[in-house]
Amino acid sequence: MLDNDLEVHIREREGVAIIDLIGDVTTFAEEKITNAYNEVSRKGARNILLNFRQNDYINSAGIAILIGIVTEVNRSNQRLAMSGLSQHFQKIFRMVGLAQYVDIYQDEDEAIRGFTAAMA
Amino acid sequence: MYDPPVSSSIDLSIPSELGYERVVREAVASFAHRLGFATERVEDLKTAVSEACLNAIEHGNAQTPGLRVDVTCVWDGSGLTVCVQDQGLRPYSGHVTPGIEQRLRGDAPPRGLGLYLITQLVDACGFKLSSNGGNVLYMCMRRCPRA
Repeated sequence: MLDNDLEVHIREREGVAIIDLIGDVTTFAEEKITNAYNEVSRKGARNILLNFRQNDYINSAGIAILIGIVTEVNRSNQRLAMSGLSQHFQKIFRMVGLAQYVDIYQDEDEAIRGFTAAMA
Repeated sequence: MYDPPVSSSIDLSIPSELGYERVVREAVASFAHRLGFATERVEDLKTAVSEACLNAIEHGNAQTPGLRVDVTCVWDGSGLTVCVQDQGLRPYSGHVTPGIEQRLRGDAPPRGLGLYLITQLVDACGFKLSSNGGNVLYMCMRRCPRA
């Protein structure tokens, strides 16, 4: 099986739970991403940033995982944003409609400023 | 710029195993770069080809060990046609579900965005049946970006 490992790390910055996603986001990523989301939610996170890094490959199965996260975020009245996506995947996310439900920022700093402004 | 001879082509064959779509993706991208496609078009093609292979592996061949997915890429002097062929264990309906609204409402499964992406990323695409009963998804992309 050619499943590249996705590295998922959780950290907190200025009241935002950041989930770093390093690697390919495909069907093999579901458990790791869902576990990370559940963990930050269990700790009471209201603001969550999915921070993509070096993601050369995000396919429709990976997008389906993200749609599942958006569904949970909407149910839980959390706020979700994404950062670090390449121009191509920003286009893909707009194409499928994800950008209507999630704020997409160029990088982590811009996303933190967006959360801070929304919380003010 | 490299001027490829008309009728340049490559053929690939992969197992019906998730992950091998990445092998095709990289090979087709390399071929398209060699043909002089702009980087943005190559990125679009990579995603479209990956999704077509995923469909063939997961749907057409139902991830059956031993079955293959065959990919042909033919350059005709102005554009590239990529055909992805499975063994046709399950036929395609050709139905494309756009966007995510229905999925967020729970009215559609979260999966199934691949065909929609393909229709958006290439200049033309469609299905046909192969002589051995398999599904063939063909995708055409011109070298010059769409206006």
